Amino acid sequence: MRLAGASHSLTLRVTAVFVLIVALVSAGLGVYLYRSFVAEIERRDDILLLGKMRQIQQLLGNAGTLDIIRERPQYFRDTMSGQENSLVRIVRDDGTRLIDVNPHGETLPLPVPVAVDAPVGASAIHGWTSRDGYPARVVAASARIGQPAQMADITVARVYGDRSAMFAAYRWQIVISVAVSALVAALLASAMLLRGLRPLRAIAAHAALVRPGKLEQQLDAHGAPTELLPLISALNAMLARLQEGYARLSQFSADLAHEFRTPVTNLLGQSQVMLARPRSSVEYEQLVSSNVEELERLSRMIDSMLFLARAQQDEMVLVKQPLPVQDEFLRLADFFEGLAEERELALACHGSGVVAAEPQLLRRALGNLLSNAIRHAAPGSSVVLRSHATTEGMELSVSNLGPAIPARHLPHLFDRFYRADPARSDSAASTGLGLAIVTAIMQLHGGSASVASDAAATTFSLRFPLA
Amino acid sequence: MRILVIEDEPKTGDYLLRGLGEAGFVVSLARNGRDGLQMAGEGGFDLVVLDVMLPIMDGWQVLRALRLQEGGADVPVIFLTARDEVQDRVKGLELGADDYLVKPFAFAELVARIRTLLRRGPPREDDVIRIGDMEIDVMKRKVSRQGQRITLTAKEFGLLHLLARRQGEVLSRSIIASQVWDINFESDTNVIDAAIRRLRSKLDDPFEPKLIHTLRGMGYVCELRAP
Repeated sequence: MRLAGASHSLTLRVTAVFVLIVALVSAGLGVYLYRSFVAEIERRDDILLLGKMRQIQQLLGNAGTLDIIRERPQYFRDTMSGQENSLVRIVRDDGTRLIDVNPHGETLPLPVPVAVDAPVGASAIHGWTSRDGYPARVVAASARIGQPAQMADITVARVYGDRSAMFAAYRWQIVISVAVSALVAALLASAMLLRGLRPLRAIAAHAALVRPGKLEQQLDAHGAPTELLPLISALNAMLARLQEGYARLSQFSADLAHEFRTPVTNLLGQSQVMLARPRSSVEYEQLVSSNVEELERLSRMIDSMLFLARAQQDEMVLVKQPLPVQDEFLRLADFFEGLAEERELALACHGSGVVAAEPQLLRRALGNLLSNAIRHAAPGSSVVLRSHATTEGMELSVSNLGPAIPARHLPHLFDRFYRADPARSDSAASTGLGLAIVTAIMQLHGGSASVASDAAATTFSLRFPLA
Repeated sequence: MRILVIEDEPKTGDYLLRGLGEAGFVVSLARNGRDGLQMAGEGGFDLVVLDVMLPIMDGWQVLRALRLQEGGADVPVIFLTARDEVQDRVKGLELGADDYLVKPFAFAELVARIRTLLRRGPPREDDVIRIGDMEIDVMKRKVSRQGQRITLTAKEFGLLHLLARRQGEVLSRSIIASQVWDINFESDTNVIDAAIRRLRSKLDDPFEPKLIHTLRGMGYVCELRAP
């Protein structure tokens, strides 16, 4: 569910970002095009304005122009203004206005005229605003009139009302095209995202099917885009780990129930049989003693289970000490000596150096191994404790002679409740947790436990890291 | 010796009452914390066995109140807990308990702990222990029966000394492993049985009457029994 929700908001977010980018880019492009268009139009209009100025200057320089102006001012006016909105004013230096074309009665600004023989360039043009609020341009220059020459100031101006309307229309076009492209981008982006995220939805749909007991369903990587392959394989690896843990847990629960069932069955059954009819006190005593034995086994199992649970939750705080290996070997050999002797076994200790470990846990681990070795050793042989210093730390081993453990059992020997030989009758004495406890102890120490077995010997090794 | 047991679980209370009575103590039983505290306040008890999970007032409250009571500050307290958590044990000991046992525990273990607490201070060690015709010279580490010298290894002597020193007391296998070999974890119980068999082969097999007795499901006891 969450995955599906997240993918939806991803579509929205990516679409929004995409639309924003498209809108920004197209708006930027529109502004740029508009600006350069306006600049170009203005430049051309300025060139036209200057051309008109030069034209008037030349005309005035011709002999007889003054006469034409005087005699047929209307003709000159038509020639000069040419277009509507063009304003022309020529004022002689004595102040008389020769020409004043100004149909709308605009108030012309009076810029300083450019000197007679100086070239009239773009820098001489000034902007102003018409009475109606339109942008307008003006240029002024001095000129000689007629022969003999007299001086006059020419002012040429133009109001660009038509141009403003065109610019406004162009702006609207740009705004509309930006909006349309953003809309198209939004549609395309969301359509493509919906399509592109389809594999994610497929994963979500598949993940929704995963539940305890169905963990083996792996997500299908076939046809998924390469970007999603790491996600799919990570999810699949997670599923595999969960499945393994789940399988182990359910196996463990089943084993636990089974292991508890045996002593409880014994307790119930034999008690019920005994209570079915009157018995002698000797028989009752036997019943109670037998019950006590079963209960002790249950009690040991509970203790071991609690030990394992606590060790695996890292609740135990280890206080490691440097312990002389041979001292520890001798202490355990001393403890197990009687039992070994009864089974005609010799205990040999070849320890040297120091191991960093919590003393009680080290003894418990070694004790479990030694007890196993004595139980399985061939009569008359030796059980050997050895130490071996390696670059990584200290390795302690317990070996016994005896029939090899079949290779298929070796990887499982350290599992809880695993028994290589289920029919072994001494299961009453063991809880099936001894080697699991050894493993837990080694994990607490940051070390490991392993086993090797062949026809010659079975050797359990404990590797303790340095310090 | 008077013992007060404060325990709400009926079966546990009943068997503690009976078992401790049969072990030679005068036992009173309180079925909840408030009654227990009141009875303890009346005084006269040499030791209190206190369950932690109690109705009305839990064991910690009882212990705290008991330690503040007049005459309750010194009485030894053993607490019983089903939760084998380190902080629980530390809490109990901090509140002034003298010892603790984690359920399920062996009854013999409880009796042994009670005897140890009641003994208080280093027990006076006899130089020579005599049980029936057996004589143990603790200083010289010599053992004889009917005047015949019996040669024991150091560990065999340690085992016999423990059994004889606490004659009449049932010693569980885990107590024996802990006291004789300093092995304090759940270990192969066959080891203790093997050691006892070896000791018996030297001490009891050649002689009558037998001094070391097996209490099935509980442990071993050394005593002279009426034939």
